[in-house]
Amino acid sequence: MKIIEVKDLTKKYREHTAVDGISFEVEEGELFAFLGENGAGKSTTINMLTTVLEKTSGKAIIAGHELGKEDDEIRKVNGIVFQNSVLDKKLSVKDNLLTRGSYYGLSKKEVLKRLEPFAERFEMKDIWDRKYEKLSGGQRRRVDIMRALINNPKILFLDEPTTGLDPKSRKLVWDYINYLRKEYKMTIFLTTHYMEETRDADHVVILDKGHIVSKGTPAELKSKYAHSKLVWYTPLSDRAEAIITKISGKFAYDADHYNIETDQNLTEFIFEHREEIRDYEYIKGTMDDVFLNLTGKELA
Amino acid sequence: MKDFLGFTRRNLLIYFKDVLAIIFSLLTSIIVFVLYLLFLKGTFVEALNGTMRGLENIVNGADIDMFVNGILLSGILGSALITIPYTCLQTIVKDKEAGVDADICSTPLKRWKIILSYFTASSICAFVMTSIILTIGLVVLNAMGDTHMTAASIAAAYGIVLLGSVSSTALFMVVMLLFKNSSTSTAFFGILTAAAGFVIGAYIPLSQFSDGVQSFCNLFPASHITSMIRNVLLSGVADSINNDINGLDGGAFISSIKDTFSFNAHTFGTSFTVQSSVIYIAVIALVCIALMTFAYNKTYRRR
Repeated sequence: MKIIEVKDLTKKYREHTAVDGISFEVEEGELFAFLGENGAGKSTTINMLTTVLEKTSGKAIIAGHELGKEDDEIRKVNGIVFQNSVLDKKLSVKDNLLTRGSYYGLSKKEVLKRLEPFAERFEMKDIWDRKYEKLSGGQRRRVDIMRALINNPKILFLDEPTTGLDPKSRKLVWDYINYLRKEYKMTIFLTTHYMEETRDADHVVILDKGHIVSKGTPAELKSKYAHSKLVWYTPLSDRAEAIITKISGKFAYDADHYNIETDQNLTEFIFEHREEIRDYEYIKGTMDDVFLNLTGKELA
Repeated sequence: MKDFLGFTRRNLLIYFKDVLAIIFSLLTSIIVFVLYLLFLKGTFVEALNGTMRGLENIVNGADIDMFVNGILLSGILGSALITIPYTCLQTIVKDKEAGVDADICSTPLKRWKIILSYFTASSICAFVMTSIILTIGLVVLNAMGDTHMTAASIAAAYGIVLLGSVSSTALFMVVMLLFKNSSTSTAFFGILTAAAGFVIGAYIPLSQFSDGVQSFCNLFPASHITSMIRNVLLSGVADSINNDINGLDGGAFISSIKDTFSFNAHTFGTSFTVQSSVIYIAVIALVCIALMTFAYNKTYRRR
């Protein structure tokens, strides 16, 4: 079942078009990734889908509610983790969460009840009474995610949730995201410019200058736009190149190895030439390659 | 209703949990108080003694002291009613800058409730803080001598503080629309704290300035509020002094010091009574409320 349906969604700021007629669909319970560099229109799209920004044109149906007509209903089913922390630094974690809960008409008791299942999983007890400004980057992100869960959202929007975090905190954030998907079947709408974060996505949309340049599963995108690579460590020789041409015409010698671009299954080839090919690496095509091939740009 | 109350509570906590913000919001009042201790009191007493030549033996010195202390308290209250709401309302600018308003707008909280909540929280902060100052001031003045204040005038003082809190907040809600980031609103606050004491006549009585400057200063509701506070705080003392004089000067002394210390605001030749000042402030507040409702609704819809 489709939980988000977007058709020709556009956002214009006077002469500048931030999002230009994009269309896509998100299935319920999936991890949907929006990939693009800064300024590609990822946050603008999220802001429109979460009713923070008014769309200029186009149509979007979110959990059965039409954007622009049933915004209050949409707000009830959305949870958002913004790119930058938006909680109040001078307030405690508890005060932040209780006040945010009240915006959804929830009492203190109701907020605490809703967050109870997550509190332990997210290791919140030690920081519950601590001021938000005193928390580390990773702890703040945890609280941000907790805040987004206050209203039991059907869709959790995560706008570059791991930007600026250390590797340990990034891993933790991903543990929480995976937990929410597994335990609560929550739909996750993610924007990121970290390629590796799209690896586990069910669908990826690549955005460039407000346009969708491609969409599909990571496997589909990689098979279309990325090539696997065989790195063969051997001296430069005619004999080696004669072997290489059996599998690929695209190769180059670099320092002490050949870089061979190929999408073939190499098991038989390597077995056949096992005497010559003793030292090698097989590198599968990545989402970085997909992005580079589609936009001509590299991401962080 | 829970959403509105929750957001109002959040805006109140933002102010009351930030000790530095509280101190800065009271900066002009603190400066007025320090200057009073250093030299203002002496200057004011000297000015009064100069005016009452020939009446020194008749007028109770304690009443003169109480009068000057009351002038100080009105100055502290008047300036607090400018700087406290302004500090509270800076939350609007900070929320915009930090993207907090996006978080708020993503919730079912209605746009008009957001605006009303900022307004309510700032009015409450200003009223609570200024009422605390007023209460402490009255306790101290009572400990120092007879304030000659009735229960009705004390109640009126709190009423004026409430009017001042609401009207200042309404005015500054409109002012906040001008700022895109907190650095400009903070820079403006610097100017405001420096100017506030002069505009309400806390440092120097407004009567010492030219008619043009007086008229300009009295355009601000805060000047009217300060004049009204002076009226309710000091009318009892003024009456006591007048009773001491017993009609010897035909009321000239009290009339003269009321003019000197601006018991009534004057703007471009028009003298305001307390009642007309209330109407003036109410009109200004209503115009500002209408303006802010229109402008903020547009701002939040455009996000």
